[in-house]
Amino acid sequence: MSERSATTLGWRAAWGIARRDLHRQFRGLRLLLVCLFLGVGALAAIGSLTSAIRSELDGQGQVILGGDFEVEVYQRPLTEEETAFLERYGELSPGLRMQAMASAGEAASPVELKAVAPNWPLYGTLTLADGSAAGDLPPDGAWIAQGVAERLGVSAGDRFTIGTLPLTVAGIIGEEPDRLSEGFTLGQTVIVGLDVPAAAGLTLPGAMYETKTRVRFTGADDPTAVEEELEERFPESGLDTRTRDRASPGAERFVSRMGEFLTLVGLAALVIAGIGIGLGVGSYLEARRAGIATLKILGATSGDIARIYTLQIGAAALAGSLAGLAAGVLVTPLLAGALGELLPVSAGVTVAPLALLRALAFGLLVTLVFAAPPVLRARAFPAMALMRERVAPLGAGSWRAALVPVGLGLAGIALLALAGSPTPGLSAGFLGGAMALLGLLALLGFGIRKAARNVPRPAHPIWRAALANLHRPGAATGALVTALGFGLSAFVLLAAVQTSLDGNIRRSVPAIAPDYFVLDIPKTRLEEFSGVIAAVAPDAAIESTPTLRGQVIAYGDPDNPTVVAELEELPEGAWGLRGERGMTYAAQVPPGNVLAQGEWWPPMYRGEPLVSVDEELATAAGLKLGDIITISVLGVQKTATIASFRRLDWESMGFNYVFVFSPNTLIDAPHNVAATVSFQDGQVPPGLLRQLAVTFPSSSVIEVGPILSEARAILDQVSLAILAAASVAVLAGVAVLLGAIAAARAARIYDTVILRVLGASRGQLLGLQFAEFGLLAAVLAGVALVLGSGLAWLVITQLFEFDWLPDWPRILAVLGAGLALVLVFAFLASLPVLRARPAAALRSL
Amino acid sequence: MTTPPLNQPAISARNLRLTLGSGTAAVEILKGIDLTVPAGQTLALLGPSGSGKSSLMAVLTGLERATSGDLSVAGANFAAMDEDALALARRGRIGIVLQAFHLLPTMTAQENVATPMELAGMDNAWERAAEELAAVGLAHRLTHYPAQLSGGEQQRVAIARALAPRPPLIFADEPTGNLDTTTGHAIMDVLLARRADTGATLVMITHDRDLANLCDRVVTLGDGLIVSDTTR
Repeated sequence: MSERSATTLGWRAAWGIARRDLHRQFRGLRLLLVCLFLGVGALAAIGSLTSAIRSELDGQGQVILGGDFEVEVYQRPLTEEETAFLERYGELSPGLRMQAMASAGEAASPVELKAVAPNWPLYGTLTLADGSAAGDLPPDGAWIAQGVAERLGVSAGDRFTIGTLPLTVAGIIGEEPDRLSEGFTLGQTVIVGLDVPAAAGLTLPGAMYETKTRVRFTGADDPTAVEEELEERFPESGLDTRTRDRASPGAERFVSRMGEFLTLVGLAALVIAGIGIGLGVGSYLEARRAGIATLKILGATSGDIARIYTLQIGAAALAGSLAGLAAGVLVTPLLAGALGELLPVSAGVTVAPLALLRALAFGLLVTLVFAAPPVLRARAFPAMALMRERVAPLGAGSWRAALVPVGLGLAGIALLALAGSPTPGLSAGFLGGAMALLGLLALLGFGIRKAARNVPRPAHPIWRAALANLHRPGAATGALVTALGFGLSAFVLLAAVQTSLDGNIRRSVPAIAPDYFVLDIPKTRLEEFSGVIAAVAPDAAIESTPTLRGQVIAYGDPDNPTVVAELEELPEGAWGLRGERGMTYAAQVPPGNVLAQGEWWPPMYRGEPLVSVDEELATAAGLKLGDIITISVLGVQKTATIASFRRLDWESMGFNYVFVFSPNTLIDAPHNVAATVSFQDGQVPPGLLRQLAVTFPSSSVIEVGPILSEARAILDQVSLAILAAASVAVLAGVAVLLGAIAAARAARIYDTVILRVLGASRGQLLGLQFAEFGLLAAVLAGVALVLGSGLAWLVITQLFEFDWLPDWPRILAVLGAGLALVLVFAFLASLPVLRARPAAALRSL
Repeated sequence: MTTPPLNQPAISARNLRLTLGSGTAAVEILKGIDLTVPAGQTLALLGPSGSGKSSLMAVLTGLERATSGDLSVAGANFAAMDEDALALARRGRIGIVLQAFHLLPTMTAQENVATPMELAGMDNAWERAAEELAAVGLAHRLTHYPAQLSGGEQQRVAIARALAPRPPLIFADEPTGNLDTTTGHAIMDVLLARRADTGATLVMITHDRDLANLCDRVVTLGDGLIVSDTTR
């Protein structure tokens, strides 16, 4: 029978002892400090930046949207009833947006035409490039983007043409207040008066344009309530709405996703840092074996020991984390700089309390997970150790006690990572994947250590000693392979993904994608269009398709169709049923499409209207052959029976429509034709753009080349941001390496001294260090190459379904740079060992 | 646990055995020790290396649990306690002085002496530590760290630390073993004087017969057993 202790030292008294024993500059716990500084700093910077952008987006909602409320609709202005409805709430500012062609002299350029009312912008100010406010737009004037001015070779006061209408450059756009809510554009902006598109002949029936009406509320109306009332009042009108609270959902989504992804990369770096924390705390407590035993002799219970050292490590963790938070806040502008124009708004030094608290909580939880096992081992350290050297291994069997704090810490990290995540499934997948990778690396580390023990001993003593250092008792090979392997694998993964995507954009995509997308070709002039192209480029391939915009009103069983407006939520994956979208008709199965089920209508079909639907949408919406689809095109409703399902070829980069109708369904509706043009070897004939602008003034051309260049620039910036976050993982790995070298310093000095006593020269000792770290580097390079490129292959070929086109020299350069960093630090940390003087060292051993 | 009444022995051990390791690697260190130490007695434990002196002291101080036998120390049944209960039993009741001093290197002399009293939840630990250091002649060294003290000074701090909570029992393991002869004798003077001031029971391990002869009683161990027991 045993008496249990009931008295444990109070937290205050424990802190009194802990504080005394804690070095003022945290000597012995610096690895913990550095690791937390790096990990928490990275998370704080990412969180601060994301928060700053979010708050900027929220705070500037009215300016970004250009109103309190916005209504968009394709190919028509608002009706009188719709306008009257909106006028009840305040002042309206109608506008229009479309693709168009601008030309001046021999130069031509596709542009994003933005027609605005005189009272635009309702909020904010249009600033010109010279910094002045734009003021009123002259009747025949236009404000143009810098890129358009350069391409057309015009400046303020010069004349240029949109469609058939000559205009005068009123100024070069500096800052457009509602730019962000316009979303992705296919050309540079030209802002003109509201009547210009019609005067330029661009809004004829069938033309592809979008009207946007912004409202500035005069009262304190709730935009969401207005939105709901509008939807109820005009359920089948095809109106898209936005409120000032979500002025730029695309930008918010991008910032949110990017922020989340970078946070997860940062969290992975923090977990690597956690390995360093575990090593650092383990070494610290190991160095305090005598102190712990002394405290026990003086009457400290194991609970007291746990409290005292928990407080010490907690204090150091807090100090490291707070320093990390401060650094994170200060480097936010640097991160913002790295992301450059990717960011929707600018971000300077900002303090985001919630983001910082989250980073701090991550830091402390990771400390709990990795520091709890060594602290609990120390708790079980026997007082007898002072009287009998190392009677028992430190903390044998104490791992069970660590299960609870480690489990709680891991659960806390997972909860914190998933709470508030816009895509919890994705985050959980990333976390699970990262954990699996860490587990795999830990296994590899164990295997490498075991293999080093079992391979035949090299004949050369230096190599023999180097090999022995990989598996000697206390060697941190496993921890190093895990910590450094993760960061370097991430380097290889990123480099391989980036260069493969880049390769696809530079090589595969241009080979597949057309060079021009041409919109709004009048259907009666298609032959003339083909003739213009053939005259300058006889080998060019042209594919054309009628283009209309429509909205699905109802679908399903002919006797009891499902009305889309009545659905609270669309079936998952049935995005094709949402809002207005492109539709077409065709006499034959579109190129690249495969008929999966049903039959195509015969040539010259004149029966009841038929439609062919994308197979994936059909599955998502539960459609079957014989069901109906009712659509609204330009306010006219048409119902067609589903005759077939098609498998689409999204990789063709050509036109792909979810709904393709039999020609007799839509041929009478006003519409134009769109075409893709692919030139031989991508060589665009000079002057063709200008000729198209003049011959087809109401048509617009989208050039694929500049869009791909922009995509590559975005890819570069995203890669740089992720690489910066992953660098923290490598730096954390380096910190782990330095900690491992410092922890094994006594053993290393002992080896060095004995070798010196046995006659080894300084050069030979240096060779030993080279050999050991060279072996480690070779192992890490192999692990990083296999794991990193393997994962990258999965991402590229399975997730993105792209070609595997890695740029190996670049990948090896990135990996080499990472390894060089590791080796430089390893040698610098080993210098004191090499400098050890045998006589002095032997006296102290 | 209560402090033993005056007529109760400070230590009472019956058939105390200690075996370390298990199976074929098991080594029997103590092979049946019977020992009674009256309160207030000074006792020296003599014996060659490996005779079991340190192990006996470890068991008597509760740093190691006996494999079998009965043991009552300061009125508490040590045989029935787990490690934490033994730590609590030591608090304020057992002072230990070790050969290698084992001061906490990160704490000043005063902090080292105050620590066991703080662990025991005693009042005025800080002031009492200063008084105890003054009593061992180190009033001028309160804020010095162990590394700033000589070996003799460090051992004085260790003695002050052991005696400050006024324990009824003091154990000293070769307290002069790391010191030169002159300093060693000075330390013994301090230890015995402070012991006399407090009236505590002292159990001291030593190789030095001259030092042993300073005690009331000398017990000699050999191969885990008491081979002689002389009271002066």
